[in-house]
Amino acid sequence: MKDQDLMRSARFRKERETDWRRLETLVLAAEQRGLQHMDFAEARDLASLYRQATTSLSIAREISLDKALLGYLEALTARAYLCVYAPQERLGGVFHRFFAQSAPQAMRRSWPFLVLGFLCMGLGALAGYLLYFESPDWYYVFLPTELAGGRGPDATYESLRAVIYDEDPNSSGLGAFATYLFSHNTRIAIFVFGLGVFACAPAIILTFYNGLMLGAFYALHVDRGLGPDIAGWLSIHGVTELSAICIACAGGLKLGTALLFPGDLSRVASLRRAGRDAVKLALVAALMLLVAAFLEGFGRQLVQDMYMRFIIGWGIGALWLIWFVFGGRVQR
Amino acid sequence: MILRLKKKNRKNRPPRNELMPPEGVPLTLPIAGVGVRLGAQITDITITFMALVAIMILLAMLNITSPQTMIAIGALLFFLIRVPYYVLAELVWNGQTLGKRILKIKVVSHDGGPLTTHALVLRNMMKEAEVFLPGTLVLMLDASSPLASLGALVWILICLLIPVFDRYRRRLGDMMAGTHVIHLPVPVLLKDLASEPRMISLNRKEFVFLSHQLDHYGAFELQTLEGLLRAQNTQPTSDGGAQRNKTIAAIVEKIRKKIGYANPVPPPDRLRFLQAFYKAQREHLEQRQLFGDRRENKHYANNGEDA
Repeated sequence: MKDQDLMRSARFRKERETDWRRLETLVLAAEQRGLQHMDFAEARDLASLYRQATTSLSIAREISLDKALLGYLEALTARAYLCVYAPQERLGGVFHRFFAQSAPQAMRRSWPFLVLGFLCMGLGALAGYLLYFESPDWYYVFLPTELAGGRGPDATYESLRAVIYDEDPNSSGLGAFATYLFSHNTRIAIFVFGLGVFACAPAIILTFYNGLMLGAFYALHVDRGLGPDIAGWLSIHGVTELSAICIACAGGLKLGTALLFPGDLSRVASLRRAGRDAVKLALVAALMLLVAAFLEGFGRQLVQDMYMRFIIGWGIGALWLIWFVFGGRVQR
Repeated sequence: MILRLKKKNRKNRPPRNELMPPEGVPLTLPIAGVGVRLGAQITDITITFMALVAIMILLAMLNITSPQTMIAIGALLFFLIRVPYYVLAELVWNGQTLGKRILKIKVVSHDGGPLTTHALVLRNMMKEAEVFLPGTLVLMLDASSPLASLGALVWILICLLIPVFDRYRRRLGDMMAGTHVIHLPVPVLLKDLASEPRMISLNRKEFVFLSHQLDHYGAFELQTLEGLLRAQNTQPTSDGGAQRNKTIAAIVEKIRKKIGYANPVPPPDRLRFLQAFYKAQREHLEQRQLFGDRRENKHYANNGEDA
């Protein structure tokens, strides 16, 4: 059949069909091998043929009533669109960018929330400490029995000391590490972050409550004259771990304030914007919890010396701080 | 007033299957339903769980830990396998985990741009909070704390119901990350019926249609006829053949009556008649469309008066 005999839409199709077929094979190749493994010529053709196909599609919608053609072009351009606009990032690049740039930058951007988070925990600890010395009965109010592990106001100096300097090697290692991660503090961190969305209040209350427990617990040991020992026992992992909870709290507060004070944006848009930093804070907190778990699972049993515990705990804390303060600064 | 405004907005918003790429030509990408996504999710959980079981068996054989801590280690390992799996798989395979690849669905950015790492991390972290955290709470059903278990159950139900009521079937995490999930379309190019050579017919005259005879139908009827003609190429079953001939005869008669085509069509010529009619009708409608007269279906004349 000669070209002149064909109707306009059929001629339109005949002229472009080979290009579409080529685009189809390119799309298949890109989906199977990945765009980065294609030749330069192929990748270039994919992009330009994709743009041609979108033009063809918008023309075909106007001039053609051939359902088969329209369906084919719709599907083909959609597939090509998904290939052309695929994320072009290497995994190494993603990790590098997170550690070298975006995480410390997000931390620095949200410093008011971080201050608030640490303030919640600190005030809670102070309150717990003072309340214990007012009346040791507060201890039972703050600490649930299963968490205290038999360490109450009626415990003796020896039993408390035995827990701090645990000489029994059987209960150490991987098991402690794993049970720890699912213990109390991780759950607190998750809740503190997640509940921040509900207008900040739950995050603040939970962090404050966590501080109360810490304060009462510390006060108990100070009361028995074990103040520096418990500080060492706590700091080896607690510096990292409690900071993680405060950072999670900061992330939750960020989400909550975005919801409470959206400014000129709609609440959903404001939440989405705050989410960009809040997610990074959550990731940092998760990373810190993981490190804390290692420290608790292995370090605390292996390192029995009080000063060593102080050095390790606060040294790692200083490393975190250095990362947050100096990481990802742009040279001017 | 507000309600009326809302209704108006509801009418004016773009169809939900449409996605606007940066090129500005809307693409049709059908939204994946809750069922198929649940299927993909179950596949993914199975895959990650298999990996967990393999590692656990290895650990048990190496005899590193005591059996008491095995459950805790298992829970931890499952977490450590699962979280990176979702994020990395969707990052490497452009919005598809293995389960999604098997079921041919895919995550796309809601605004038509490329998927960002941030969006993928966010939507998968929210999955932890939406599904897995309350899920483990429910699994650890504890008679001593019925309130917590009930709370977790309600939380899961709410999270499962949100996509059912959302227009784009988005989870909470999808909404925050600005993504939704689509079916991957399959491009299949069928032959153009209009450019097929005419059926050979010796000493029979061509079917000729006059322009007023082609003013009865619109695009919908034309495309229905197209579907019917395409179906003729498949081989009919033994008793389907007679049935099919009957249908063709009925359709030919109906068209003839509607357009006022006086000459009778003999049985062997029926398909040829339909093909010729399809071609003439399509040429006519496409020409009208070029002149700005778009005819959706046979009621096109009435629609103009209503508006």
